[in-house]
Amino acid sequence: MEKKNVFLIVKDVISEVLPDVDSDGVKIEQNLKSLGANSIDRTEIVMLSMERLGIKLPLVSFGGVENIEEMVDVLVDNT
Amino acid sequence: MVKESGKKVAVVGMGIVSSIGGNISSFTRSLKNGTSGITRLAGREGPELSVDIGAEINGFSFNDGLASYPDLPEELLQKAKSCARRSPFPVQASVLSALEAWQDSRMFSQKNDPERLGVIVAGESTTQNYRYGLHAGFATDPEYLSPRYALQFLDSHQVGVLSEIFNIEGEGFVVGGASASGNVGLIKAVQLIQSGFVDTCLVTGIVADLSPIELQGFVNIGAMVGKNKFQSPDQASRPFDAEHAGFVYGQASACVILQSCDVAESKGAVIRSKVLGCALKLDGVSTSEPNVAGEAAAMNRALRRAGVSAHEIDYLNAHGSSSPLGDSTEVEAIKRVFKHHVSELWVNSTKGLTGHCLYSAGVVEFIASVLQMEGGFIHPNRNLDNPIDQDLRFSGATFERDNIELAMSNSFGFGGINSSIVFQNHR
Repeated sequence: MEKKNVFLIVKDVISEVLPDVDSDGVKIEQNLKSLGANSIDRTEIVMLSMERLGIKLPLVSFGGVENIEEMVDVLVDNT
Repeated sequence: MVKESGKKVAVVGMGIVSSIGGNISSFTRSLKNGTSGITRLAGREGPELSVDIGAEINGFSFNDGLASYPDLPEELLQKAKSCARRSPFPVQASVLSALEAWQDSRMFSQKNDPERLGVIVAGESTTQNYRYGLHAGFATDPEYLSPRYALQFLDSHQVGVLSEIFNIEGEGFVVGGASASGNVGLIKAVQLIQSGFVDTCLVTGIVADLSPIELQGFVNIGAMVGKNKFQSPDQASRPFDAEHAGFVYGQASACVILQSCDVAESKGAVIRSKVLGCALKLDGVSTSEPNVAGEAAAMNRALRRAGVSAHEIDYLNAHGSSSPLGDSTEVEAIKRVFKHHVSELWVNSTKGLTGHCLYSAGVVEFIASVLQMEGGFIHPNRNLDNPIDQDLRFSGATFERDNIELAMSNSFGFGGINSSIVFQNHR
């Protein structure tokens, strides 16, 4: 799947987990923490994104991820 | 009489989300009118069950609820939202009833020492329906199980959520006592305050969000009224009536804030009632059978600890679950405790309106009793067409006006758990 489409799915998941965030305004270089996500919110965003994309990766695959773009890249590499 | 414990405990806040009212004022109206919350159960996934009625909280919305407490600071409401926005229904319902109680207590406008605040969450195995709803997805894709599950399947998650929202840093824990859980929570809170561990304790009775398995289980043990027994669902809960055939499932989240009377008075809190005495008494059995001696002993102990004689009690909120054996056992126990005073003692059962709220029943009925004291009325005994006893003074089909100075509330649970609380009008 193309990176921009994966990012759309991730933004959709972000708006579900963090309803106060205006997902249209989310930039790919931002990190989830700065959007107000705590550690469980962040894990849930990763897992729901994987579920939407139908992929199953161990969570350690996202270990070094620093921002949304790096997370999207891991997802894209495995779709 | 000699008092066994001197320190009185004040009721300074109450909140409720129930099938007959989403807040204290609508709940009060329903009590007075004798409104029933019992209807056909909303559809559930899974096999067809042997029960299809209950008093559910319909149209629940956490966000709408958060907008219902105009006096509370925005910061507190935001914290409640962020803590519970992704939580299962029972947690969200607990947060809303606690917010109403917090608003009622005016605690938000006071300086509180977090270490002197406690929280007790009453109810056990309260995440069954949440777990049941996850089974199908888990069977195929366990990898996608939410990371929140490991927090949220625990009853004690509610302790964490409520303590974060209200900045509670004293003691906090979960108590279970089957259908007496609510009373057990209130009793433990009174004891925490009396023994000086905390000044103020928030007690929340959790909504019994039963999964299809528990619904069927209560029918199979013979405790819950089954299908097609009554023409209309609102006729099915009939405590102390000759046609009673078992309890009807009910949902409510209810919260009471208790505070040491000394602290309440020094803070200028509005005291709604005072708890004078309470008792928890076991029968020493593992079964579901009620026991006259155990129930009478709980009531007598509560009276003794309150320093009150049986004939001084004006009103009894009975456990009265509409179970044939349970109702007749309680009538016998009441007669044993109150003797000739039964002709003067008003008796009703809130379960005729709300169904049996199980874990939260004790807190719901404590609140119902305080509201009746404040309003000077005894709510109707719905469906009590032919009382199983002619000596007790049951309220009828419409509410009765009378002053209640002293009240008692009973809750009994499977496993020989008997509990009783004595409290006083303060308005």
